[in-house]
Amino acid sequence: MIPLLHYVLFSSALLLIGGYGVVRNRNAIVVLMSIEIMLTAANINFVAFAEFWHDMGGQVFALFVIAIAAAEVAIGLAILLSLYKQRDTIELDMLDLLRW
Amino acid sequence: MLEQAWLIPTFPIAAFLLIIVCGRFEPLRSKFVASGSWLALLGVGMSSAVSLLVAWEVFTGDHSPYEDTWTWFEGTTFSFEGGIYLDGLAALMLVVVGMVSFLVVMFSIGYMAEEGERRIRYYAEICLFVGVMHGLIIANSFLLLFIFWELVGLCSYLLIGFWYEKPSAASAAKKAFLVTRVGDVFLLFGLVILFSTFGTLRYSELFADPAVLAEHATELKWATLCIFGGAVGKSAQFPLHVWLPDAMEGPSTVSALIHAATMVKAGVFLVARAYPLIVHSPDTALYIAVTGGFTAFIAASMALVMYDVKRVLAYSTISQLGYMFLALGTGAWAFAHAGGDAYAEAHGYTAGMFHLLNHAFFKALLFLGAGAVIHSVHTQDMREMGGLRKAMPFTSTTMGLAVLSIAGVPFFSGFWSKDEILAAVRHNGEVEPIFAVLWMMALATAGMTAFYMTRLWMMTFTGPINDKAHEAAAVMTVPLAILGVLAVVSGFAIFIGDGFASYVHYGYHTHQDNWVLLDHILTASGTHLSVAAAFSGIGLASLLYYWSPSQTERPDRARFILKNYPTAMLHRFLSERLYMARLFDWFGLRCWDVIAAACNRFDIVIIDGVVNSLADCSIHTGERIRRLHTGFTGHYAAYSLGGLGALVIMLRVVLPLIGWSP
Repeated sequence: MIPLLHYVLFSSALLLIGGYGVVRNRNAIVVLMSIEIMLTAANINFVAFAEFWHDMGGQVFALFVIAIAAAEVAIGLAILLSLYKQRDTIELDMLDLLRW
Repeated sequence: MLEQAWLIPTFPIAAFLLIIVCGRFEPLRSKFVASGSWLALLGVGMSSAVSLLVAWEVFTGDHSPYEDTWTWFEGTTFSFEGGIYLDGLAALMLVVVGMVSFLVVMFSIGYMAEEGERRIRYYAEICLFVGVMHGLIIANSFLLLFIFWELVGLCSYLLIGFWYEKPSAASAAKKAFLVTRVGDVFLLFGLVILFSTFGTLRYSELFADPAVLAEHATELKWATLCIFGGAVGKSAQFPLHVWLPDAMEGPSTVSALIHAATMVKAGVFLVARAYPLIVHSPDTALYIAVTGGFTAFIAASMALVMYDVKRVLAYSTISQLGYMFLALGTGAWAFAHAGGDAYAEAHGYTAGMFHLLNHAFFKALLFLGAGAVIHSVHTQDMREMGGLRKAMPFTSTTMGLAVLSIAGVPFFSGFWSKDEILAAVRHNGEVEPIFAVLWMMALATAGMTAFYMTRLWMMTFTGPINDKAHEAAAVMTVPLAILGVLAVVSGFAIFIGDGFASYVHYGYHTHQDNWVLLDHILTASGTHLSVAAAFSGIGLASLLYYWSPSQTERPDRARFILKNYPTAMLHRFLSERLYMARLFDWFGLRCWDVIAAACNRFDIVIIDGVVNSLADCSIHTGERIRRLHTGFTGHYAAYSLGGLGALVIMLRVVLPLIGWSP
């Protein structure tokens, strides 16, 4: 039996890795992938706590997160596609219209 | 009939509304231009008829005031009753305003015939003017009076500025409005003092108990002084007399109305109305008398040297109003000094109001006559007139009657009232030396009045015949004729019934036999003195200014005045209007400009400074803070993750440390 602490530490590590990826990467696709990693970290927490508390709600919630993540990726990629068509780039540094 | 007295102001105001509404309505407009004048005449005529009937009823009634009220609005501790208050004073004013306004409107139909569409505005304003003046007279409280008082000021502003495209007319209208406003502020102060002291402004409640009034002598003193301040502004007394001569920029008919009936008489009426308050304050009474006497003297002296025919008349109005205030103040002082004497009577009150009646007729006549002359020769400068006697026989005769009246020639109207005033002042002079001085000034004023009025008539009507001039139309000569008759006979009102004093008096009225009164007037030494003053004035003016028809050049017998240094200086001093206008201008330009400049500096440096620094502050802060918006998605993500971390640390570490648990 793997103790709960291991799950939590693992998911925290995933979250930090994902966060680092979001903050540091310039490529929009890599940023989307990093967000997926952060969502995975959340899912691991859900499932682990569901097992720990014997509550199926956590697992159901993880399924919802997976479905929503799929939808999010679909929309995100569509946005990136039209962005690429318009601006010829998916480098986030180039997208600075709101800069001061 | 008294119950219907509310109709008196209603008719002209209704005419005003009709004229102004129909005159705006395009299809009616062109037809209405001619008929508007008749509508105005109808409105004013009906109100005049009602006011004469009401006055008749008051005079033949039992002499106790009639009051009719309705609740206007109610507060928690007081309620204001609007309504009608009719006594001998109000009835007298109704007679004066009713008759004069009707005749003036009638005269206007001829006088304003060439004015085209703007007649709509003229008649509307005239109707409103007459209506609000009637309202002022029959009001039952000082508050209602104040409302009409302001409306009268508004109407005079509109009418003085009738030819508003002329800059001088526009500025004269402004001057009249602003100068009288100085007085109005005083009046308002006075009313506030009265209300806070007695809790009411209704005449019947205020005047009800003399004992209560006597207890509040100090408050009454200030209140009556302030109320008199209002009268000083409205009736153009020193030092607020400067607006009236400039008010000549309006049409002559307006001047006639302002001088004889509606505007300046309101001040005299106000003082007479506040008489029950003033008699409790001898200081105020003395102040009124001194102001009146002084104004009468200086205004008459300035009238001596003016060449503009309407300006001479304007100064003569100021002077005659001074007489009225002198009389009212004298009467109140005498009454106050009689103490609790149950048989005390304010002779000055009767004399002042009697002079108001007579003055209304002869001054209206003088202005309308001057209007007819100006209408005919198209100038107001008397030096360019002369020789109009043949061409305008009717105008010259009626104006001659008015001149004799105002000069105080025996048996003409001005003689009786001026004599009453002089007698009252002289009577006080036996007790208080100030009144003796005032009496001498008033006597000198009588002589000067005779002089300048004769001068006016001689310069206008005598001399080589001017055949380019023409007599006025019938609609103008009829009012002149009626006023001419009134100017001669109105003085005999002193003998009507039990005498004028039995209708309009303050205090106890002793019954007097008319023959005794006549005998008394004709044999008194004061009468002989004033008649001598009048005749010497007339004689001197005739000597200096008579211009025989055979001479082509105007005789220069008055030249010596300008040739000798002292008299020339005096002449200059008087024709510069005692430098009062200059003084006011200087005050405005210099003193007031300094204050205004200081205020401007304060505004720019302090007020604008604070506002601008606040704005600069936010601009600079914003300039710094907006650097946070780098536009890089990564930075925003870092901010939100950092925020999340900070939140976690806050909730899990910092707050438990300071002893707070979620």
